[in-house]
Formats: sequence, structure tokens, C-alpha cells
Amino acid sequence: MKRSLVPYCVTAAILVFFYLPILVLVVNSFNTSRFGGSWEGFSLVWYSRLLNHREIWHALTNSLVIAVSSSIVSVLLGTTAALALHRYATRLQKAHYMLIYTPLIMPEILMGISMLLFFIAAGMQLGLFTIFLAHVTFCISFVAMVVLGRLQDFDFSIIEAAQDLGANWWQATWKVLVPLLMPGLVAGGLLAFTLSIDDFVITFFVAGPGSTTLPIRIYSMIKHGSPPLINALSTILLAVTFAAVYISQHLLEDKT
Amino acid sequence: MKHITLLIAGLAACLFGCNRETPVLHIYTWADYIKPELIERFERENSCRVVIDTFDSNEVMYAKLKAGASGYDLVTPSSYMVKVMNDQGMLRKLDHGRLPNLKNIDPGYLKVAIDPAMEYSVPYMLTTTVIAYLKSRVPDFEPSWAMFSRPEYGGRMTMLSDMRETIGAALKFLGYGINSTDRGELEKARDVVIGWKKNLAKFENEQYKTGLASQEFFIVHGYSGDVMAVQEENDDIAYAVPVEGTSIACDDFVILKSARQVELAHRFINFLHEPDVAAENTVAVNYLCPNQACYKLLPQEILDDPTVFLPEEIKARCEVINDVGPAQALYTAMWDQIKAAP
Repeated sequence: MKRSLVPYCVTAAILVFFYLPILVLVVNSFNTSRFGGSWEGFSLVWYSRLLNHREIWHALTNSLVIAVSSSIVSVLLGTTAALALHRYATRLQKAHYMLIYTPLIMPEILMGISMLLFFIAAGMQLGLFTIFLAHVTFCISFVAMVVLGRLQDFDFSIIEAAQDLGANWWQATWKVLVPLLMPGLVAGGLLAFTLSIDDFVITFFVAGPGSTTLPIRIYSMIKHGSPPLINALSTILLAVTFAAVYISQHLLEDKT
Repeated sequence: MKHITLLIAGLAACLFGCNRETPVLHIYTWADYIKPELIERFERENSCRVVIDTFDSNEVMYAKLKAGASGYDLVTPSSYMVKVMNDQGMLRKLDHGRLPNLKNIDPGYLKVAIDPAMEYSVPYMLTTTVIAYLKSRVPDFEPSWAMFSRPEYGGRMTMLSDMRETIGAALKFLGYGINSTDRGELEKARDVVIGWKKNLAKFENEQYKTGLASQEFFIVHGYSGDVMAVQEENDDIAYAVPVEGTSIACDDFVILKSARQVELAHRFINFLHEPDVAAENTVAVNYLCPNQACYKLLPQEILDDPTVFLPEEIKARCEVINDVGPAQALYTAMWDQIKAAP
């Protein structure tokens, strides 16, 4: 029987769409040309400029601080929300689900401007803390969704079994529940991290003086600065991401 | 089941624990708009810290500040936005006693400025809208808006996707004022742009730079600072200010009403208009700081550039785009008709 070529073509096309733009970006980060229209020779000039650009580093630090802290907190809150929704059904169950779903479908701009108005009405100084609050708010929903998915096929009789065998609540949670939920927690945390680190719209509105994050900085540079610096920075971020994924996969393999 | 333990997530408040002793000046501006070495110098001389945050359009910056975001001291909106912000009472009146360097500001520019007395704003960087072209492909270039009606370059030209700039170009071409609110004049300008549109590849604000550098476009309507940056890449690029006149845009420094470091903000504006600082900045950011005392410190190539220092008779025909108030709706209608035209 002759196999169809269509799946191969589709796969190839998708891979090209995924990775070709990234490849172009990496190549252009070594291009002498400022506009990347044509190849003008290899150079590391953008990397050396990047090293001396303190505003970009400041923005990157802000982004990382917010992404790490907001993903940790939203994993904690999102997981407890998912557990509560899954375990304790009430008559208001539907309404509770709605409360969790709504931030997923609410337009970002609406969320951004409403949070800005709220923070100002509450008399809060805009800054890293308000960005952190905003990011936790929208990340909770995503984490809760991922963990809920994991809980759908979770057999709670093992928790009861653990308790029968003498584990107290604390032990049952940390030795049985959390390890089994771990893939969901990690996935939720990573999702929260990526959502947080590249959020522009909400962040723009709730950012205050001194808390410019990387996406805000990049938007401004596209309009009014030198894009190649961004190429260089993105290449470094890509390298770090790939290294992190590679290392974490190795660590997981060693354990099993 | 035993007691339920509550998990309380503590947050590190050290995020805000920065050094409170040195005063901090917060500037809200475009990316890469002030030479970093100059900021370091200002910090050393005034023993303070300067924190820069960036925005990417006048409108979003305005939306955010208008909603009540505070903490910024200095902002650099474009002139028309300065007027809007001032009408809303968002700006602080400047104390000229603390700004001795205002005497250096080019009176030639102030004549056309929206705030000529510098009551609320001090001009920072000037740019003109120009026509750029490839010398090898356009041998018979003439510095006129009429270039866009040449069918032989059809499909190889772009104009700005900005209704005030492009309708403004047509108004200048017809000999009218760039801030005209007259319906008849605007309708004539609309018809001129519709005629040009037949020869254009597209209306375009960003990609024209790459398109010109890669020879995809031969003639583009663009901002002088951007065109100069592309020119560093490709020697074949030249540009000129149309003889009919063009628009001058200026970004101004303003101090917000909510500013906390008012004294430091005044000192910063004054610092940027020191002649040597203004000259260094002009060379670094590719725009012109309208500071006449700095002109003699500029390199000869900038001084000789007729698009930076416009000849008097062309300069007389250039104008600053201003807020047109209720006529804005008329512009929008004309622009929609241009966009819809075949």
C-alpha cells in the first residue's frame, strides 16, 4: 500500500513555520547590518553593545523576578483552587468554575485597564509588586485548569489507602498526593512562567516607574531603537532555555 | 481527618528595599533617546540615580498617565501630545529661573513651535519628514511631493501610514497649511493622495526602512532620523526635504504635575541643553537638538546637511503638526475615503 505524503508535508511545513523565524533571528543577531535586510558580514557588535546596556539588563532582571515569583505563588494558589473545586462540590459549583474560567477568556486590555484603575483607586504605588499581583491573577486560572485536568483521572482511594496504613494528613499530602500531581504542577508552573515573562498588555498598564519589563522595553525599541540588540538578547534567552530543557530532561532520565 | 493546615505564602518585600538616601529621577521616554554616558555624567554630577522607563506611542503613554499612573517626573511626548496633556492640566509650569540654558534654544524653531514661550515644555529633539530614494534607481529625482505622481516608479514607492503626515504632505503640495481645517482644502488634498495611491506599493510606517535598504522600494516618505540610520547601511540612499515644505515634529520635555523630583527634573532639562551635552546627544541619537549654542560643536557633515539645517526659504514653508481639535473627525473621514479608494 502506498503511504500518503500529506502527513510528511504538513509536518515539514509546521516545523518550518515553528523554527525558521527563530533561525532567521539567530542568524541576524550576528549580522553587521542594522536592518537585517541583507547579510553584511559576521560580527559580535550587538552582543558587546548588549553587555553594556544597563537598561536592558534592568528590564530583564525585572522580568525574571516577576516571572519566578508569580509562577511559584500561582502554582500554590492555583493547585489549592483546583483541589477545592474537584473535591468539594457545592450547589455553587458552576459559579465557582466560572470564576476560575473568566480570566482565561477576558480580553487582556480590559484586565489591564481595570487593574490599573483598581490599583490607583486603592492608592497603591505602581511597580514590581502591582505587576506581580496582576500576573498571579491571570496565571492562577491557567494553573488551576492544568491541575484540574490532572485530577480528573486521579484515584483518591490511594489517599484513603495511605491514611489506612497510618499516614497522617500531612504525610498523605506530601508523600502521595503531591508526587502524583507533580507533572501537572510543573506543567502549570512552566505555563505560568512563560505567560508571565512575555506578557505585554496587562504589564504595560500596571507597571510603574523603574519596573519596565523586557517586553515593554522591546516594544519601545522596535519603534525607536535598534532591533539587532533584541535579536542578540533573544538568542541568549533561547540558548538558556534550550540548556535548561536539556538539563532537566537529563535529570529526569537519571531518576527513573 | 486532622486539622487543616493553612499555607501562607510570604512575599519578599525586599523588592522595594532600594537605597532611600540618593534621590531618584524617573524619566518616561522613547527607547534609546538619551545617550547613556550623558545620563551617567548627570548622575555623577548631581549624586542621584536616573531611572528610565520606555513607551512606544504617545497615545498609550497618555492613556496610562491619564488613568492616574504616577511616579514619573519627566516625560517626552511629541508636541501635539504636549498640548493635549496641558489642556488636561497634567503638566507643571516650568520655572525659567532654574533653566538658564533656555537661552540656547533656537529661536528659529520656537517661531513655529506650539509652545513658543516654553511655558510647559522644552523642545528636545527635532525631526523632519523627508523623501528618501535610491540614487541608482531614481536618476531624475527632484525634491518635490510631485515625485509620488510619477507612474514610472509605480509599485516601488511608499508613504507613511499616518493620516496627518500623508494628508499633510498633500496639503503642502497644494500650498495650504498643514493644520488646515477647511473642508474644501482637505477634499482637494484627499484627491491628490488618491492620485498618489495608484503608484504606491503601500502606506507603511516601519518596513520602509528595510525595504529601502534591500532595494525593494525606490522612493519612500519617512522620518529623517530613521532615514539617516538606514543611510549608514547603504550609500546609495539619499534624501531631501520637498521644496513645497514638510512637517517638523518635535519631542519635548515636560514635568508632570505629579512629579516628586521637581528640582532634579529642572536640572536634568537644563543639563541636556548645555551646548556640549546637546551636541553629543545630537550625534548619538540621529535627531537634531534645537540648541543653537551646540550647532558650532557639531561635526561638519551634520552642519552641511540641508535636511537637518533647512535652507531658509524651505524652512519658512515647514510647519509643526498640531492638534486640530474637532476637525480631527474630518481628517479621519478623508483618510477612510483614501484607504477605501481603488
